[in-house]
Amino acid sequence: MIYSSLLFVYIFFPFSLLVYYVTPKKYRNTSLLVLSMIFCSMFGIGFLLFMIAYTALNYAACILISKYRSNKGVSVSVLGLALLLDVLIIFIFRSDFFSIYKKLLSIPESFFPVGISFFTLSAAGTLADVYCGREKAEKNIISFGLYIIFFPKLIMGPVLRYSGFRKMLDSRHDGLSGIGVGVSLFAKGFAKKVIAADSLYALYTASVSADMDKMAALTAWLGATSFFLCLYFTLSGISDMGAGIGHCFGFRLPQSFNYPVFSSNIRYFAARWHIQVVQWFRRYVTRQILRFSPNKAFRISAFIAVWGLFGFWYTFDMNGAVSGAVLGMAIIIETRFRHGRLLPLTGVFYTFITSVICSVFMAGSSLSYSFRYLFAMIGGNGVLADSFSLYLLKSYILILLISMYASTSLFRNLMMRSGHGKGQKIITALSPVIVLSVMILCTVLISYKGSSGMDLLKM
Amino acid sequence: MKNAVSKITAVIVLVYISAVMIFILFGKGNSNIMYGSSCRKKHCISVSDVMYGSFTEYFTELTANRLPVRSRMIAAESRLKSAMNESVVNGVCVDSRMLLDAEVSDRGSVSKNAHTINEFCGKYKGAVYFAAIPTSSGVYESYLPEYIRKNPESMQISSLYSELEGNIREIDAYNILKMLNENYIYYRNDTRWTSYGAYCVYRTVIQKLGFSPVAYDKYTINHVTDDFRGNLYARTFYSRVRPDIIDIYRYTEGARIISCTGYDNDMKSYAGKLYDKSFIDSGNMYDMYLGEKRPLVKIRTTVNNERRLLVIKDSFADCFIPFLTQHYSEIDIADPAYMEGSIVDFVDPGSYEQILFLFGIDSMDDENLFDVLVNTPEERKVE
Repeated sequence: MIYSSLLFVYIFFPFSLLVYYVTPKKYRNTSLLVLSMIFCSMFGIGFLLFMIAYTALNYAACILISKYRSNKGVSVSVLGLALLLDVLIIFIFRSDFFSIYKKLLSIPESFFPVGISFFTLSAAGTLADVYCGREKAEKNIISFGLYIIFFPKLIMGPVLRYSGFRKMLDSRHDGLSGIGVGVSLFAKGFAKKVIAADSLYALYTASVSADMDKMAALTAWLGATSFFLCLYFTLSGISDMGAGIGHCFGFRLPQSFNYPVFSSNIRYFAARWHIQVVQWFRRYVTRQILRFSPNKAFRISAFIAVWGLFGFWYTFDMNGAVSGAVLGMAIIIETRFRHGRLLPLTGVFYTFITSVICSVFMAGSSLSYSFRYLFAMIGGNGVLADSFSLYLLKSYILILLISMYASTSLFRNLMMRSGHGKGQKIITALSPVIVLSVMILCTVLISYKGSSGMDLLKM
Repeated sequence: MKNAVSKITAVIVLVYISAVMIFILFGKGNSNIMYGSSCRKKHCISVSDVMYGSFTEYFTELTANRLPVRSRMIAAESRLKSAMNESVVNGVCVDSRMLLDAEVSDRGSVSKNAHTINEFCGKYKGAVYFAAIPTSSGVYESYLPEYIRKNPESMQISSLYSELEGNIREIDAYNILKMLNENYIYYRNDTRWTSYGAYCVYRTVIQKLGFSPVAYDKYTINHVTDDFRGNLYARTFYSRVRPDIIDIYRYTEGARIISCTGYDNDMKSYAGKLYDKSFIDSGNMYDMYLGEKRPLVKIRTTVNNERRLLVIKDSFADCFIPFLTQHYSEIDIADPAYMEGSIVDFVDPGSYEQILFLFGIDSMDDENLFDVLVNTPEERKVE
């Protein structure tokens, strides 16, 4: 039951709001934990049990690390063991290489702990913070449990530091106004997922169905662009929905994406894409590695390697790693060679091309496939456009253009520049109707299937 | 102002969501069949479903079925996507001439089903015939966008036939229908063939079974309805394609039906009908052929030749069976999709001199469809 399903929007969401707001304030954290456990159980009782065990394990590890802080040997052992388990768990479920362990543990192929990529980062980061003394170990199991399995951030994050989450927990602003902001944000995410991402996914699957050896350059570009935009709208859509639900319960969860797609340079792109995850890798991996040596070559290699790790985190295969490394290299090259001012459009252009190249690696089933795909993109098959690519262009041009516009911050900037002008007042006054219309439109689009699934990546 | 607008937004959206929730929970809901997802065997949620979350799919489908004005929503979705030049809506290729199943290339391997059929047929001495019928997407594949034609039904049928053992006699329905594709042999709003399409294949099948077909001009054709909307329409509610005509072919001078009896999974008998016109007013008009779906239907005719035929079939055969009634004194019809346990609990396949399998090639996507053929009766008792 992901957020973009009728079961969630029309049954679980109103039910959880009702339960939360009728519960006395004193017990609201408990009610949120119970609701989160019900949410987990909708993915199967097996998932709920897994999450309980996972939370208990990390909770116990944090307490032990804190308790034996003076005894370095014990605390390091507990930290090492807990981190090893966290890493092992994520590899078992996300990497095909470790699927043998699933067989050994009699875990069916269909079982996948949804959100595992995010809650493992949260847990590992907290363990490290507690060990380093940057965080105190949480003794309240309800608060810690919520940190791991709070349902608005379970599927797609954001990956928060424990202190940040705790602050939200202690000083949340729940109420009607928060619900208004929350449902608006939810509707925005719902539209991103159902209107944009699903249509782009259809374009992507249609494009890659073409014979690779005869694929026209236009088809290849349509496929790569639609994958990149679909990835963005899927990830940011689900993140927005989660953040919106969080707002309804008074949690001001930060947004994970800040219009990265048409950034004017690659560094901006990297800083606006999956913001908290990028920060996590910078804080817990890059900084730790860079402490080892001031050598410039080492620092550059480490920087690229960590970006490779970031890409690997998406797919758990070599393609993801190459995708991340390409982005890392692009940042290095840009930092080194772009001294003078460039036209913003030029920056947007090369940033977009780089992002699309990265997504070709991300989408590919193997490195050779991705290289053949890039070859097709540059017209290597000797066909620039054919009837099939023109058919796809004709069928999807409208959704492609709308999606591209929606992925920019042009509309937001327009609203901000208008200040308190008449236009903004009209839009603000109409926003309840716009939000309702978007909710209805998205419901219409999933009324047959009942949900809009995560076809692109299992995270 | 923003704070006030946020509160108004919250109230409006909450009222809307709550109203829909109340309708879903306490409203009348819609028929499953109406949306092309007819429930076949009894749906039971297993321990494994609860353990690993598959049960949520059932509840998602249930929620969707109970959504208020769902048919209008699906129609709006089709119109919207069609206006945006998207040709595929909910897995259906929307063309002004006819609707076609666009998921034709996504079907899995037929190997398991072929293996099960071979195992079943190996146990019996009677002659076994197999007719794999293409859906409209197979015969009119040129209407489909190029990228959907990766695994055409002609290849799926060839693949199935190549895996069936030599003692099973294959019937080439694909080429017969392909040759006649300028005629009204398939419904415009459904994946299945019309009665005329069934008649065209019947002429070949019945000769293989050892009889002469009844000539076309001997039939009186009644148009039962000209407002049939089939399983593809139910996925799109796309009304720009003309509704279909359902026909009944009657051979008034021929053999008559003595009895038609349906049996449920407890072998409780029900009066059946070759044509049950009460379904014309229902959401699924095609069920007029053979009436309510039962795992077993037994038909007795006035044909005086003591010939018995076992037909193992899916819904493609429903409008085909009436043509067979002119040739056999007894026809028993088994539908594995509605059968629980083992076929041996219902009939003794060894007692028939001929067994005819007649399936739409799309049914082969369910790799457990034929399990009832090889399940032993003991297994059923254990269950």
